[in-house]
Amino acid sequence: MTDIPSPGQTAPADTRAATVHIPASPAQRALPLHRLLSQVWANDDGLWGQITAVSHTTLGLRFMATAFVFFAIGGILSMLIRAQLATPDGAFLDTELYNQIFTMHGSIMMFLFAIPMLEGLGIWLLPKMLGTRDMAFPRLTALGYWCYLFGGLIMLTALLFGVAPHDGWFMYTPLSSAEFSPGINADVWLLGVTFVEISAVAAAVEITVTILRQRAPGMRLMEMPLFAWYMLGTSAMMLVGFPPLIAGSVLLEIERAFDWPFFDPARGGDPLLWQHLFWLFGHPEVYIIFLPAAGVMSMMIPVLCRTTILGYGAIVAAILALVFLSFGLWVHHMFTVGIPHMALAFFSAASVLVAVPTAVQVFAWIGTMWKGHPQLHLPMYHILGFFLTFVMGGLTGVMLAIVPFNWQAHDTAFVTAHLHYVLIGGFVFPMMAAATYWMPLMTGKRRIKGLGEAAFWVILIGFHGTFFIMHLTGLMGMPRRIDVYPDNPEWIWLNLTSSIFSFVLTIGFALYALDLILQATLGKRESRDPWGAPTLDWAMPIPSPNYNFASLPTARHLGRDAGDIIVPLARGEGMLPGAPRGRREILVTSVGDATPDHVAMLPGNTALPLVLSSAICVFVLLMLASLYALAGLALLPVAALIWVWVRGMAPQGAMTPVEAAPGLHLPIHHRATTTLGQSGLMAFLVANGTLFSSLLFGLAFLSVVTPGPAAPPSAVSAAQVLPAFALLAAALVLALGAMGWRRAGAAWAGTALNLAALGAVLWLAVQLENPTAHTRDALRAVLTGYIGLHVLVAAGMSAFVADQYRRGEISPEVPGAWPSCNLWQRYTTAVTLITLAVVIAQGVIT
Amino acid sequence: MKWLGAVLIGPSLWFAVFLGVYGLHGLICGQWGAVDTGGRAALIAAWGLGIAAFLPVLRLLPAAPEHSIDLPRAGLWIGLGATVFTLFPVTITSSCG
Ligand code: HEM
Ligand SMILES: [Cu+2]
Repeated sequence: MTDIPSPGQTAPADTRAATVHIPASPAQRALPLHRLLSQVWANDDGLWGQITAVSHTTLGLRFMATAFVFFAIGGILSMLIRAQLATPDGAFLDTELYNQIFTMHGSIMMFLFAIPMLEGLGIWLLPKMLGTRDMAFPRLTALGYWCYLFGGLIMLTALLFGVAPHDGWFMYTPLSSAEFSPGINADVWLLGVTFVEISAVAAAVEITVTILRQRAPGMRLMEMPLFAWYMLGTSAMMLVGFPPLIAGSVLLEIERAFDWPFFDPARGGDPLLWQHLFWLFGHPEVYIIFLPAAGVMSMMIPVLCRTTILGYGAIVAAILALVFLSFGLWVHHMFTVGIPHMALAFFSAASVLVAVPTAVQVFAWIGTMWKGHPQLHLPMYHILGFFLTFVMGGLTGVMLAIVPFNWQAHDTAFVTAHLHYVLIGGFVFPMMAAATYWMPLMTGKRRIKGLGEAAFWVILIGFHGTFFIMHLTGLMGMPRRIDVYPDNPEWIWLNLTSSIFSFVLTIGFALYALDLILQATLGKRESRDPWGAPTLDWAMPIPSPNYNFASLPTARHLGRDAGDIIVPLARGEGMLPGAPRGRREILVTSVGDATPDHVAMLPGNTALPLVLSSAICVFVLLMLASLYALAGLALLPVAALIWVWVRGMAPQGAMTPVEAAPGLHLPIHHRATTTLGQSGLMAFLVANGTLFSSLLFGLAFLSVVTPGPAAPPSAVSAAQVLPAFALLAAALVLALGAMGWRRAGAAWAGTALNLAALGAVLWLAVQLENPTAHTRDALRAVLTGYIGLHVLVAAGMSAFVADQYRRGEISPEVPGAWPSCNLWQRYTTAVTLITLAVVIAQGVIT
Repeated sequence: MKWLGAVLIGPSLWFAVFLGVYGLHGLICGQWGAVDTGGRAALIAAWGLGIAAFLPVLRLLPAAPEHSIDLPRAGLWIGLGATVFTLFPVTITSSCG
């Protein structure tokens, strides 16, 4: 796994003791264990089984397969682009359609291929690698999948009907505002992408919690496989990177739908705000895509070179640095306006700095290959393809970073070429390597020799043929995003050649897909642990069963060849062997040292995720159809379904402690202090807090930086709103106080106080000035809505707790939903007080 | 969890110093419209203070158990390097333009 000596030798005895000496469970016969586990963990039969599946194995594979289909669709669109550009007058697409096609190509590749692909990989692989049986929130996995699918389908349907977005994948305003994009094209992008992002945030929450709380006992953070570190970095970045984009999309959609001016300079808005919010997401996005790819490289290279990874600690430090520094690039946007010199100097410094951790990783990989004995298996081909392509992309990136050169190459085909060297080199090649590497675990089959290698060469030649030449066309001045070039005959030959190679590239991808399909269908049975890997993902039967491990690995099983521990684990010698209680049980461990904490029971198969995402889909479609009143109504079933969802977590069955290993009795999660659900809520609040900060950033930006016309004087005096402010603040603080008390009465009081607070919010809402008049009022209206929503949820949660008391589900040992309710109330109170302070300050200053 | 928190100290400190120094810069520009000698001195002082803030933390941080990788300390060095590197522009180009 790593160059850290195996456990037991290194760790200080005290932290180790608890985990190393977990006694082995007695060996059982493997087959009955397998039968029992299959019964409990398997999907339902047939098509219905696909609808109700919540298993990470099923859904991870389905995420990846769906992403691959979108990759193919994006690829077909790129073929249309290249066909159009092959000749100067490119007769067959008109400009409007061409714009739709390149916008959709970019958006599909970024939002419907790359991100879901890495989510799918994480969901499928992480539980296996960490030694657990599923992700922390299986129903959420399924919900994320359906949201992704529906969002993607909405965007595709729009393309078929010729109303797809056409403003480029970053949707700059004012191009994308109602005035310049009157049709529903832009709405499709905004709503579709936001819909898909629900699934990204859901996946990020899950991945974070799974990595922090579900590692095999004794697998301390600094000993977990590097892929988990990379995914932890990725999910952290997703938690803070996506909310600004969601905030931006929501604001733009509100502007388009209700004419609230956030980006309209005539009324105090600023088109720059969109760019800020978009790039607040856009900078980390590149690393969000790159980190998981680097993660699989760090797993495969040592195994394929028969050695251990060089510089584990340095790589972890590099990940830490990358995550933070890419947010440094993020922050510079707050300073770009007004102080461009400073910002530019800083930007260059930060860009150079980011190169350091990237280089550390590349050197670690090269060093690993150097000290080992590289074997030229198929995944290795793609890894070498990565090195060649990514390094070239890095070099052209350096060229673009040089300011005068950038000025020349800005917005030419050179940029397109660079972009694809980085994205295909840095993401697609590693993913292709990963797919060939883990195929045996996915399918249980061995590949058919020859075809894969051929596909690789065709792809490599096709890729460099297409995109190397685009550097040249770019240098000759050909802009990106043009559909015809009748006056520039000198570009014809290069373009034609590039287009021909792009067809070679497509044939290569088709061969690659064919190879995987043949392997899955016609391949011979592969033996277990075919690569001789030292990680837990291979310490299971192939193809992997839904439950992954018949018994869960512990410190004793870590750092050893997977082949050596398959049998003991299959015979139930690890923890929580089998499924004797007929429930889906997993082990929850502590964040740092991974000591066993409690046993969590995961929900079984259910169609609820599909139903809930369908309800959300109805809402999105009504928004698209501009039926806003109906859309508001459509939120009622969503809320009801969420209630049903949460009810599904209610305690049922025996609550006695579980003997996880001989003599080791662990409480079940209803009696635990910090459950997975609470960890998940915390992760979600991090994302939510970033969303809130983005709104505040918008407010600060628009009121301090933007020069636009001043807001009209308020018709409402301070004396008129202060009572409502006071009521709101008092009700929330009191509700928070009441909750410390933990009785049925406290839950009822919390509900009543939150309802009073909701009344205060409504009272404020009716006093709001016309939000279409000026940005200030529009932003206040949005913040009011944000608070109102949170107070409403808080009321719902305390009512839920009250209902739990009524049902007798809460006792001194079983806290029920109290901790979550409390956490939410604290968050709500905090954001409300902050908002009130900001609005008061704004009133005082202006 | 505590350990993970310790890992984040260094980069977070950088973030805070970063916001502080650039905020100060904005404030100076907003008040006086230019960075004069006094303003520059204030900026450099803030930068220096930020760097200095790392030193006690570096000393106070308990040593990692033997043989294990000291990520919290690495995080501090990353934060310190980033502070020095990303903020040195204040010393050379602190104009308001
Ligand atoms: C399958 C092979 C691919 C080919 C032949 C291809 C071709 C192209 C071409 C010719 C353009 C330029 C359109 C224009 O400026 O007029 C483009 C744009 C773009 N491509 Fe690709 N591409 C491929 C794969 C990918 C992948 C895998 C990704 C991302 C993971 C990607 C992301 C993008 C993005 C973001 C744009 C910019 C869209 C915009 O300007 O709004 N492409 N592609
Ligand atoms: Cu930027």
